[in-house]
Amino acid sequence: MKKPVSLFVAILFLIGLASCSSGEDKVAQLHDEEDIVGLTVATAAGSCYDLELSKRSDIDLLLFNKEADLLNSLLTGQSDVIVHDETVFNSEIRRDYGIKIAFKGEQEFPTAIMFRKDREGEQLALAMNTVQNDLLENGTMQTLQDFWLTDAYLDNRTYRHVPVETEGKVLQVVCITNMAPISFMIGDEWYGMEIDLIRALSTYLHRPLEIKLYDASGMIALRNGMADILIGGLFVTPERQEEFIFADPYHDFHPAYYVLDKEAQAGTSTDFWERLKTSLHKNLIEEARWKYITSGLLETLKITLFAILLGSVLGVGLCAMTRSRRNWVRKIAGFYNWFMAGIPILVLLLILFYVVFSRSGLHPATVAIIAFALDFAAGAGDIYNTSLNAVPHGQTEAGLALGFTRIQTFFHIVFPQALRNGLPLYQSLCISLLKGTSIVGYIAIQDLTRAGDLIRSRTFDPFIPLLVITVLYFLLAWLIAVLLKWAMPKNQHVL
Amino acid sequence: MISVKHLSKTYRNPDGSSLTVLKDINCEIQPGEVISIIGPSGTGKSTFLRALNLLDPPTSGEILYNGENILAKGYPVHKLRQKMGMVFQNFNLFEHMTVLENIMYAPVKILGVSLAEAREEAVSLLRKVGLAEKAEVYPSSLSGGQKQRVAIARCLAMNPEVILFDEPTSALDPTMVGEVLSVMRQLARDGMTMLIVTHEMKFARDVSSRVFFMNGGYIHEDGTPQQIFENPKRSATKEFTQRIRRAVFEVGDDFDFPGMFTTMTRFCIKNNISQYCERVEKISGLMLTDIMAAYRPMTVRLNYKEIADEASLDFMVEELQDSPLNGESRKKLRSLCREIIEEPTTRGFRVKLLL
Repeated sequence: MKKPVSLFVAILFLIGLASCSSGEDKVAQLHDEEDIVGLTVATAAGSCYDLELSKRSDIDLLLFNKEADLLNSLLTGQSDVIVHDETVFNSEIRRDYGIKIAFKGEQEFPTAIMFRKDREGEQLALAMNTVQNDLLENGTMQTLQDFWLTDAYLDNRTYRHVPVETEGKVLQVVCITNMAPISFMIGDEWYGMEIDLIRALSTYLHRPLEIKLYDASGMIALRNGMADILIGGLFVTPERQEEFIFADPYHDFHPAYYVLDKEAQAGTSTDFWERLKTSLHKNLIEEARWKYITSGLLETLKITLFAILLGSVLGVGLCAMTRSRRNWVRKIAGFYNWFMAGIPILVLLLILFYVVFSRSGLHPATVAIIAFALDFAAGAGDIYNTSLNAVPHGQTEAGLALGFTRIQTFFHIVFPQALRNGLPLYQSLCISLLKGTSIVGYIAIQDLTRAGDLIRSRTFDPFIPLLVITVLYFLLAWLIAVLLKWAMPKNQHVL
Repeated sequence: MISVKHLSKTYRNPDGSSLTVLKDINCEIQPGEVISIIGPSGTGKSTFLRALNLLDPPTSGEILYNGENILAKGYPVHKLRQKMGMVFQNFNLFEHMTVLENIMYAPVKILGVSLAEAREEAVSLLRKVGLAEKAEVYPSSLSGGQKQRVAIARCLAMNPEVILFDEPTSALDPTMVGEVLSVMRQLARDGMTMLIVTHEMKFARDVSSRVFFMNGGYIHEDGTPQQIFENPKRSATKEFTQRIRRAVFEVGDDFDFPGMFTTMTRFCIKNNISQYCERVEKISGLMLTDIMAAYRPMTVRLNYKEIADEASLDFMVEELQDSPLNGESRKKLRSLCREIIEEPTTRGFRVKLLL
């Protein structure tokens, strides 16, 4: 297994390196929005920039979900210009990747903290406004903006800390982006402009904070009451105002137009090993980022194993129902299988998390285990049933005719043979479950895939985090195969 | 030992229709009897056998085993089956066990026999069926005949009081029928009570103490092999037991000789008379191309009377009065067959050669 993996790694790297060096002269002189005519422009999907740029017919628009992919599109020459917040790619990132801001757009995007549209949300928004006004008056707001929204925080790594409240009803905060300098994580600790603002709110209300990282689906959490506050650099738009309440904007952002910086590009090291070493250091060692990987690995393993265990047991019940003599029992099992075959596991996961268990206080990992177990049960039940059917009926008859009872015949004669039939299928079902768990990031679980994303959203490195988690998924799959082999009876004599 | 009264079995199909396979079966079976159950296909022979050990529970009627009603509610069916072994058409050996394990498994798991004892018994049973050297192999590497002999040994390992044989040789290649029948013959000599559903008429005649002729869901006639095969009391029995199997060829000017030989060979193999194959071919060749080459059209019939184990070849020409044979040709034929019968028929002339 070693050889193919290292080959795969090498190929990915070569692709990355080869594509990094392209770039064209047409972006050399860009001064305002008129100059990007005819260029390929990339921006964040669903963002306000997306809304604005998609009105233009004189450019090619590319949309990406993650900032790292956005940056990569520029580096690989897929796009000529990327449009995003002026603060996203700070001076350090710009230097490291050899990009620069060609110009900043005229348009202003007021940005604010968001609350639910109900009585409680209104009160929180009012409190937030009071807090922000106080901060403005005593000059703290200016200090915060100077610290976070310029690149000052890069030189002075002593991030601001506000005393943390520990008593009182918890304010549930959902953050939908892990992005410096607005709201980002180092280890388990949160930092950023908006984090400091809600900490001030927490102090003012004497209520402690609990901050969770969600995907864009975090808006559902705010709406259905799982969260009180939503942060993560949210622009105030009329559409959002219809559904939610914003506090007063704390800053107006301008879009920045990023392009490749030829001179900086020339200065970057081209030595493969040197670059690999820097890259590994930045992605794994700096800020102890490897800890995301290890905790993500454990999370993925935990969800996978428990879902397999629970799903296998449920599968037995389902298989028994499928083989029942009662027609209506068979119909229920059939409906369950039909339903599970049709529903995308992601949709199932989101429904369970945001609808079924939204008020239950169940840990997201538990919800994920339940969702994957329900899905696994359908597949496992099917495999059990097929494997049992593959044992000829004559085997049962022979067992009965020798004087075994029905139950003995099943366990002594039929089951051992079915096990052999079904094991390969069962193993591949387990492994597809393992790979399927890579979507649990949608419900705020920091699994292995999410760990890679977290690192990527801070370092913007397109390859290393992906490579590391790919290798780890391979290892997990291998581990599952080994565990199954160990757990199953060997091909040996029955007596 | 076994007493069956008014046994019937009706299958109900999902579409509401039903099929009555056993209508009214009555019989008494004494210890030590070897009973062959014969009859046309689809008359319920296998169903009857499978009703006795309740693999296919009957719809109504009564089965007494040593005086106990086995159809009573709560009767321990598995205990009954331990005493009533069964050998299947498709062997049904346990594919995940070695030959030895197949034989040892039930005694060890059901009767609690010790491993050492079971092994000793299994080896001696294997020796009895002539397969001691196959003890450690898996069933998949055995031939059909070997599989069936192992299945018989597996059945014997439970020390049954009676064994039900459900067409034990029907799934076998004709060359392997003999080895299985000889094991069964030995069992019969040893005094085992046996019920055998079979199409092997010679075996049924030679080995059975009693024969059931089943027809249309009833035991149509129940008697000694002599009665059933030689003096059947009922016409359906006679028709079945004395039937002659035939292959008929109409020989014209453009006749497919290779095709005829293939059909004849197949006929011989199917009826387990491969020993005649070569002579059948020789005689047909001689008659059609030499002795009776001038006679066209002609009808050739290959006949086999199973119960008498008698094969013959007929060569018939219509509107012919005199024998087509002469001294020389009779001499040639005499070296190839037992008897030559030359006789006029209502429509022409027939030369019958007994093989």
